[in-house]
Amino acid sequence: MIVVVGLSHRTAPIAVREKLVLEPDTLPDFLRELVQSPEVGEALLVSTCNRVELVAAGRAGFDSDLEQVAKACVAALAARAPDIAPHLYAHRGGAAVRHLFRVAASLDSMVLGEPQILGQVKEAYEIARRAGTVGAVLHRTLPRAIRAAKRVRTETAIGSGQVSVPSVAVDLTRQIFGDLSGHVAVLVGSGEMAEAVARLLKVAGASIIVVGRTLSRAEELAQTVGGSARPWTDLKQSLCEADVVVTSTSAPHYVIDYEMVNLARRARRGKNQFFIDLAVPRDVEPRIEELDGEFLYNIDDLSKVVSETLSTRTREAASAEAIIGREAEGYDRWADAEQATPTIVLLRARLSAALEEELNRSLRGKLKHLGADDRAALAKMLESAVNRLLHQPTIRLRQAALERASDSLSLEQLSSAISELFFFEAESDAPSNPENMPPEADSPSGPAPELPSQARVVASRR
Amino acid sequence: MEDIATIAFYLGVVAYSVAATLFFLELARREGGAVRAQWAPRLLALGGALHAVHVVTASLLSKVCPIDSLHFALSFTALIAVGAYLLLRERFRLYALGAFVAPIALTFLIGAQFVGQSSDAVAGVSRTLLMFHIAANVLGVGLFLIAGAAGAVYLVQERRLRTKKHVANLGTRLPPLDSLDRTTHRLLLAGFPLLTFGVVTGAVFTHQLTAGSGADSLRTFLGYATWILLAAVLVLRETIGFRGRKTAYGTIAGVVCMLLVMLLYAVRSNAGASL
Repeated sequence: MIVVVGLSHRTAPIAVREKLVLEPDTLPDFLRELVQSPEVGEALLVSTCNRVELVAAGRAGFDSDLEQVAKACVAALAARAPDIAPHLYAHRGGAAVRHLFRVAASLDSMVLGEPQILGQVKEAYEIARRAGTVGAVLHRTLPRAIRAAKRVRTETAIGSGQVSVPSVAVDLTRQIFGDLSGHVAVLVGSGEMAEAVARLLKVAGASIIVVGRTLSRAEELAQTVGGSARPWTDLKQSLCEADVVVTSTSAPHYVIDYEMVNLARRARRGKNQFFIDLAVPRDVEPRIEELDGEFLYNIDDLSKVVSETLSTRTREAASAEAIIGREAEGYDRWADAEQATPTIVLLRARLSAALEEELNRSLRGKLKHLGADDRAALAKMLESAVNRLLHQPTIRLRQAALERASDSLSLEQLSSAISELFFFEAESDAPSNPENMPPEADSPSGPAPELPSQARVVASRR
Repeated sequence: MEDIATIAFYLGVVAYSVAATLFFLELARREGGAVRAQWAPRLLALGGALHAVHVVTASLLSKVCPIDSLHFALSFTALIAVGAYLLLRERFRLYALGAFVAPIALTFLIGAQFVGQSSDAVAGVSRTLLMFHIAANVLGVGLFLIAGAAGAVYLVQERRLRTKKHVANLGTRLPPLDSLDRTTHRLLLAGFPLLTFGVVTGAVFTHQLTAGSGADSLRTFLGYATWILLAAVLVLRETIGFRGRKTAYGTIAGVVCMLLVMLLYAVRSNAGASL
């Protein structure tokens, strides 16, 4: 099992969060240093502007003392910025798994359903993998978290629509014009939001024209958004060219009225035109909506679309939580089954060693005349025999790990009996490498497939 | 051969039905929902292929040229509409239009079964000219059906954006307004010469046939009305920038007239008269 230790926008204000900044260059060293500690065996760090979280597993894998792992993680983070300690939280075991799954699915994000977090979790996993700080536990946990997040995104509307006014404005522009390449957007006035819309339109392929009362300011803004500037006197002409008009002036009256738009419409021969009025008081006379092909959205209209999207996402969060619950349960079952692995590994090692010893004795004696091919065939036959012998015990041990029924033997009882029968206590140093893992439970006579040790354990459950 | 025609017909009906259902589910789904529409166009294409097999085998069986019988002409029209949609779908992002095209194709495929089976050429009318007349009309009607569907979707999308309702929910599943307007215009441009040829040759036939019934006169009138409406849409666009909603209304009105003409043909054909 894992622990998650960190802070987020829920527990720490930005003044605290900004103290715990880990530069990407230093991250691999930080993780390597952490896994040098006696408690922590695996670690990765998810770092975004809204959260810094260490996901770690103990050195003893599933049998680790999670309390000690959490303490080591808290110490590692607090060493970077002592002031953050009161804001740190720690989730252990199943709670940590659920938290990680929720984070990856953006259910714990500041903006519910935002898509960036999944990429950030993947990147954190990749960085840790390259740094060599991911082992069997995290190699099984992170893919499950990513899968859960993908399910949430594809099976619910948690990521539907746009949740910022500039994004909604550009989304609506696309619904009118489709591909914006070759289209002209005119920015009238300045303002942060108008600038953000202009930037997004530019990225979408539109040409930007900035019209301002002060030409020097218009030129400055045009340079910022990658467009060209025009004086205020060119406003009417610019309207004739504009497919999209973004207004954000501080004028106390309409700067674009019905007549101006009607004239522009005639010059444009009825082509669609979209006005995005971000100013308060409004810049564009609302009556222009009566004209065919003229569309007008003011700041209230755009905000309503944003809140509509957010309401949809909030409704979808319940379905998303249900998916996360099911995925986390699946993880719990896998982790339970993992508890049988050490016993299975030892049992296999014991049987393989005994048979190999007998085979070698025969090959030195009565069977010494056998050639290399025959010897290889014999070795393969014995391996198949081990697989067949261990098929049922493997299944039974895993069932025992999963079952909690009082009327059947527990995993502890079975493991104890096997240890007693096969003298594991005396040979507890038996290797626990992948070679000693059983094959897939569904194919008792087949050769063991080339899977990593942990993958084999899971494969046998499927 | 008969078995092949029958099997192709029923499989075509199934493919069109499933495609129509998937297109509607795609329109109705929440953004990010599990239903995916990649199978809808494939099934529509499969339906079109089966439809073609049905038309060819059935016409061979009954020894009738596919465009020499109203039964096959109607069926063939739907096939043209399906083909035009599949060709234009990616270029103009007309994904949602499938929700209109698939049911139209299904209706025409099934509906054609209830129309008179074949016809003999009208006495005194050039058989070759009649063939060209029908071929031009069939192709034109196929293109206009898509144009009408694009016009209808334009009105839906335009109303949604104008009333500012459900703009977040439907997202970008409906095609952009400009794409729909462009599609309508280009299909009208492509179909108009065919329609003109059909109207002109139709006028020749009307002149040659002396004893026309009231239904024939109405059909002729509606044929001219279709031509005038669609011509007006095209001319006004070029002269005074008549586009968008007005183009959509004009196109839909023209297509409705055209469908009425076809309905009158069907009624007459069922009553036993020739095409």
